[in-house]
Amino acid sequence: MTDENYDDEEIILSELDDEELTLQMHDDLYDGLREEVVEGTEILLARNWSAEKVLNEALVAGMTIVGIDFRDGILFVPEVLLAANAMKGGMAILKPLLVESGVEPIGKMVIGTVKGDIHDIGKNLVGMMMEGAGFEVVDIGINNSVEDYLAALEEHNPDILGMSALLTTTMPYMKVVIDELVRLNIRDDYVVLVGGAPLNEEFGQAVGADGYCRDAAQAAQMAPLLLHNRRASRA
Amino acid sequence: MSVRLNKRSGGREARRVSRQTNIEQIIPFIERKIPYYELLDEAGLELIERNADTVLEQIGLDFKDFPQALDLFSAAGADVQGDRVRFPPGMCRSIIQNSAPAEYVQHARNPERNVIIGGNRTVLAPAYGSPFVRGLDGVRRYATLNDFQDLVKLTYMSPGLHHSGGTVCEPVDVPVNKRHFDMVYSHIKLSDKPFMGSVTSAERAQDTVDMVELVFGKEFIQTHTVLTSLINVNSPLTFDATMLGAATVYASNNQATIISPFILAGAMSPVTVAGTVTQILAEALAGMAYIQLVRPGAPVIFGTFAAAVSMQSGAPTFGTPEPSKIMYLTASLARRLGVPFRSGGSLCGSKIADAQAAYESANTLQAGALCGVNFMLHTAGWLEGGLTVGFEKFIMDVDQANMLQVLLQGVDLSETGQALDALHEVGPGSHFLGASHTQANFETAFYRSTIADNNSFEQWQQEGGKDAGARANAICRKMLDSYVAPPLDAAVDEALIDLMVRRKALSEDRSY
Repeated sequence: MTDENYDDEEIILSELDDEELTLQMHDDLYDGLREEVVEGTEILLARNWSAEKVLNEALVAGMTIVGIDFRDGILFVPEVLLAANAMKGGMAILKPLLVESGVEPIGKMVIGTVKGDIHDIGKNLVGMMMEGAGFEVVDIGINNSVEDYLAALEEHNPDILGMSALLTTTMPYMKVVIDELVRLNIRDDYVVLVGGAPLNEEFGQAVGADGYCRDAAQAAQMAPLLLHNRRASRA
Repeated sequence: MSVRLNKRSGGREARRVSRQTNIEQIIPFIERKIPYYELLDEAGLELIERNADTVLEQIGLDFKDFPQALDLFSAAGADVQGDRVRFPPGMCRSIIQNSAPAEYVQHARNPERNVIIGGNRTVLAPAYGSPFVRGLDGVRRYATLNDFQDLVKLTYMSPGLHHSGGTVCEPVDVPVNKRHFDMVYSHIKLSDKPFMGSVTSAERAQDTVDMVELVFGKEFIQTHTVLTSLINVNSPLTFDATMLGAATVYASNNQATIISPFILAGAMSPVTVAGTVTQILAEALAGMAYIQLVRPGAPVIFGTFAAAVSMQSGAPTFGTPEPSKIMYLTASLARRLGVPFRSGGSLCGSKIADAQAAYESANTLQAGALCGVNFMLHTAGWLEGGLTVGFEKFIMDVDQANMLQVLLQGVDLSETGQALDALHEVGPGSHFLGASHTQANFETAFYRSTIADNNSFEQWQQEGGKDAGARANAICRKMLDSYVAPPLDAAVDEALIDLMVRRKALSEDRSY
């Protein structure tokens, strides 16, 4: 990246007004500057912004821009990882406050690669993009059996279950897991997302998932919508 | 309070600008850092050299209707009978090796774009000579001056093409005896890359020289080369007066020529690789020796254009293995002789930018890169055996041309290239996407194709399910819309226009 087009003056975050600071935080998220995002989060809280407002207007709005530019090929994977890491920095401060104030969190996801499959780079990318979108992500790793998934659901009580597979020989196992959720009558307790190179929309529907995510950016885009719809239908 | 310097890079706005604006870093030519692929051993190449000497001595070549060549050859010790010239063994080779430069600089009006032709360099130029174009509307039609200018603009805007070429298409809407003015002027005015001169008559070659004198200065061009022009051999074993006339004008003015046997093997040469290469070597030796007799030290390139003829139909075929073998061998022979080599290109027989076009072009491009071509004509746009230049094909080929630069760069063995720190940092499992080595190097780590679509099926479908041609079409339109001409000194421009107007007025429009 070139700095030629940017006036590299010192920016003192605490001297910016609320609007300037919010926009600066969007830029800092974009540039993957974790310390700066943490500082901005603290400043806004000190100015009596609610945690929810900081989350939505500074962090989530900033990461939305990151997501769009990733989709459009402007941002590269390593840059999105940095941005997600900066987002996590801000989230670490906000999370206890959000719990305290009873604000419903954006959501929690349990994600893992299915039994027989040890491929996890795509799954890791999804996890990071989800964290970037403000989700709490519990990564249960690779080679997960039905029992592993059930135990994780029990322990973490997530909103979303994400399953990943790279092999055509392992992807049918997703149906095994979902069938078991149905049998236990807990299928509707979760939004189930599936993904991986050999999958498609049709496969996602056939195994009974709520959504097929063709890539990490789309997972992070789709998850809040599905969750919102689910919450709305319950309200 | 925190104070930071140089950490922020301006967020989205700055990144979008830096990723979307093409701040071109000029790489004026490719400097090869990988070995040559040699198809034959010493004994095999020597055999072909001996056979070529036999051809030159016992069969000879015709230099038709051009007494000046006969006189020069005769004075140099050749046996001249009628138009037929026979050469004692080793004569041509020794004339060439006495004075032909192993490499030379072709100056561009922008010195940053000067090219070195020869040695370990590769210079890429667009297609040459097509009467037809396949436009962005998908229609095949006769080319016009407007098409010519568009192709010069596209070449100017393509960093992977180092040279503006010559007859990038034949502007058939301009009278034959005047179109060379417009072609040369377009190269000068619309681009600042080096280019080629007109070769369709001695007079037109002289017009070209007179025009470049206005740009570079009369004295300058006598000591520097600013034109590299294409002189085809009328194979088999024949040079004609038109080509010799143009070659003589350029050589006498210290300008470079490419002596290119034009071979459709099976028709214009024997049906075997070794036989064809023998003939090519004999023809090139005779032509290059002539150039050195005209003006010792004038730059000259050993050229080879070879396709195979279909024995079923007589049609030329491209991207097949035999012409690649011919190219590998002639490249070796040019290196042994010590002169620059021209061949290669995105050659294909396909009518459109389809899979046939891509496969055949890729075969020729790869062989051209590995064999060590120094000047690659026809790098971009070629369709239909050279009858047509396709705009979409042009954009696709430029993407491939860009890749050759990376391929020929070889392997980075620096500390960064070795990446042991990355291996230490990540270890087993996990991934490298977040490693600091990756963070520091990702942006330039891998060649990024301008037209390939590597998105998921769903995203590709959502974006219209476009094939490579359709994507190239959009890029081409965008490029032409955003073209900005390189500045040209107003006085030079005026002088060029004045010369063209005056010379054009001297004769009637002619179709020959």
